[in-house]
Amino acid sequence: MKQNYDFKIEKIKNLSPEEIILRKKNLALFYQTGFPNKKDEDWKFSDLNSILGKNFNNISNNDFFPKERGFKKINEFEHNFISLLNGKLISTNFSYEEKNKISLDNFDYKNEPFLENKNSLYFLNNALATGGFLLEISKNYKLKKPLVIYNNFSNSLKETIVNYKNSIILNENSELNLINYINNSSKENFMVNILENIKIKKDSSLNNILINNSKCNCYFYKYLKSDLEKNSNFENYLLSSGLKFNKLDIEINLNEENSKSSVFSALNLMNSEHQEIKTRINHNTPHCHSYQKVKNVLNHESKGIYQGKIFVKNIAQKTDAYQLSKALILNDAAEFDAKPELEIYADDVKCSHGSTSGSIDLNSIHYLKSRGIPEKEAYQMLINGFLCEVLEKLSDGKIKNFLKEKLERQINGY
Amino acid sequence: MKTENLNKNNKDYKYGFTTDVENIRSPKGLSEETIRFISNIKKEPKWMLEWRLKAFKRLKVLKEPDWQKPKYPKINYQNLYYYSAPKSASEKPKSLDEIDPKILETYKKLGIPLVEQKRLNGIAVDAVFDSVSVATTFKDELTKKGIIFCSISEAIQNHPELVKKYLGSVIPLSDHYFATLNSAVFTDGSFVYIPPNTKCPMELSTYFRINASETGQFERTLIIADKGSYVSYLEGCTAPMRDENQLHAANVELIALDDAEIKYSTVQNWYPGDEKGIGGIYNFVTKRGACKGKNSKISWTQVETGSAITWKYPSCILQGDNSVGEFYSIAITNNFQKADTGTKMIHLGKNTKSKIISKGISAGNADNMYRGLVEIKNKAINSRNYTQCDSLLMGNKCGAHTIPYIKNNNASSTIEHEATTTKINEEQLYYCNQRGLDQEEAVSLIVNGFCKEVLQQLPMEFAVEAQKLVAISLEGSVG
Repeated sequence: MKQNYDFKIEKIKNLSPEEIILRKKNLALFYQTGFPNKKDEDWKFSDLNSILGKNFNNISNNDFFPKERGFKKINEFEHNFISLLNGKLISTNFSYEEKNKISLDNFDYKNEPFLENKNSLYFLNNALATGGFLLEISKNYKLKKPLVIYNNFSNSLKETIVNYKNSIILNENSELNLINYINNSSKENFMVNILENIKIKKDSSLNNILINNSKCNCYFYKYLKSDLEKNSNFENYLLSSGLKFNKLDIEINLNEENSKSSVFSALNLMNSEHQEIKTRINHNTPHCHSYQKVKNVLNHESKGIYQGKIFVKNIAQKTDAYQLSKALILNDAAEFDAKPELEIYADDVKCSHGSTSGSIDLNSIHYLKSRGIPEKEAYQMLINGFLCEVLEKLSDGKIKNFLKEKLERQINGY
Repeated sequence: MKTENLNKNNKDYKYGFTTDVENIRSPKGLSEETIRFISNIKKEPKWMLEWRLKAFKRLKVLKEPDWQKPKYPKINYQNLYYYSAPKSASEKPKSLDEIDPKILETYKKLGIPLVEQKRLNGIAVDAVFDSVSVATTFKDELTKKGIIFCSISEAIQNHPELVKKYLGSVIPLSDHYFATLNSAVFTDGSFVYIPPNTKCPMELSTYFRINASETGQFERTLIIADKGSYVSYLEGCTAPMRDENQLHAANVELIALDDAEIKYSTVQNWYPGDEKGIGGIYNFVTKRGACKGKNSKISWTQVETGSAITWKYPSCILQGDNSVGEFYSIAITNNFQKADTGTKMIHLGKNTKSKIISKGISAGNADNMYRGLVEIKNKAINSRNYTQCDSLLMGNKCGAHTIPYIKNNNASSTIEHEATTTKINEEQLYYCNQRGLDQEEAVSLIVNGFCKEVLQQLPMEFAVEAQKLVAISLEGSVG
């Protein structure tokens, strides 16, 4: 192991003695294995330990929260926002909404139970997390404007890790369009480790979008656990290109009938970017739907990974589950790995998956070139068409256009 | 007779019978002594013993794998006999008349074409009873063509240069626990060598049978197809009723040189345990083929209906440019059977192609799993893979799982993978019922249709047997 750990719980302020004991326990659990490596089946294709070893000399937990400076905001559409700096909640704006319908607070480390995911990053997060938020939407309230969460990271984070937890609750019959916006442009290497818990109650609907603003030297990990109740809907759009390393570990529990979930992802990876989408969809009751479409374009020596699992419990009859991963490999040094997994115990179900990987269709390139389009542009057009398709189901036109534009920028280079 | 009682109690298992033959046994347990005993009784040369001991040394540091889905009670390797041979085999029989009549009777029940069906079927049979090959037919005809088809023990005596060169070249000594265990204690198996530019005139076939109780069966098969040759090899197994779990850890190595083709077909019907999941064979087999030469081809076809636990991944290493690997599989699990099977296709050479068709059928409380790897390495440009794995579930107590690992490491290769999980179409069932077929016949018909793509790949003699097996395996699964 190349990198040296310098994790100090003492850096965290205002902890009760019990909390300190609990955090120390978690840190000890982390030290047992260190960062996940390829011997761990879930990390088989992403050996984080060796990736960090190559890119970090040492790593410590962040305790520096600089004064707020003006961060770039989205101008393309009107929105509410929550602004985080290095994980810490610094400002909010819900001017478009009714005040008493939304509650927002700092994450409550004393009363909020920890999520159950047994990998070492989870223990590390338990040991070191500070900041984060707790968001709750009231019953029967549908937000008028989308909510953007600015995840800002300062330039001072060199060789540190930022840990925080978020919790989002949508009460009955509520609706939210959420955009997680990763904002950093520094060249310094740092890591982010987020645990997020989402509860979507009866008849509610959540659109969860993740987008990375610019190329950065960030090593990102997010574990998202969600529980869905009756008739609820949970849609995910993942556009995280530009992060040096990214692993999105998404668990969706379809706990009551007629709940729906989907995961869409469009990634255009450059240079030595390494990104993984890992999903686990648990169909725990009958009549639930899940849909996944993951698309990757791999340039240079980048690596894209999709590990998707559909689990269908024996009582979950009439399940409809679908998984598709497609990859375009544009360079011999690039790599695409997939592990689309089905584990099914009920017989009256419709479950399928497909996975393809290959090069771009040269006939199409030739066709475009023969119409006078330069080769580079022809490639960009085809890649654009390939990736933008995953946004088709998005209902909000403004957000869709905004994302399309971002995606184009990711494709054409920043 | 005890045997008859067993048969009465367990009518469901068509091939459940045992033959009383006195056995010569090795000392109980796994030790250097046992290995020396096996090597000695087989009159093996020194290099072979050393090879075995090297494997045994390696085995001591290896750990039994535990990542598989079907779990099983810990095997006490010191409680097994590693060698047992029918006594009459110590004086090698020269013709069928010399063979123990009881053994012949067993073969008859199994339908092995040793006597009357010999010529009709045109199959040369190297029948393995327990661990020593007892009779080899059609030898003359094969010898004329220069084809070597004998037991591996004979090959070690008579063709040491070939065995030395190829044994362990595809499955190395230190591969994994069960393969290494096999290398240390293998007792017998088949050896095939097809000389250059020769097409083997008949399908070669070996029937394996576990007989003596508490005897792990460690077969070793080595097939070499020299430049421009072709061979089709059939392997089929049936086993008698047993209460105690028996371990079967065979190793099969295939080597195809330039322009050669090997077709390896298996029908596996070891004892699956009773309706409550008691007993049954553990079938932990390592099968691997290397397409060493240019334009070579290896094709695996398997019909897996038996065993309490089937755990194997017949694989192809596509080293030669333009080489082709194929894997066709039907795995049927019923009652408490468990199967964790699939394949590995490792593309190393340019323009290599592979195709995987896997059909899993799960009924009762069974668990059926496809686990496979397709890996196209950086230098294997212009390679292609197509994978299709379909699962059929009957009832909500059984499980079907698909775990493919897909790795594509260059821009000019294409991998396509698709998988589906469904149940038997009720409209099709209704249609069959309407035409006067009862439920079970209808299911058997539909399932046979579901498996058609794989059944088509089997040689004629096997195809008939396999279709019957599919029907028998699913008896009692529809209610």
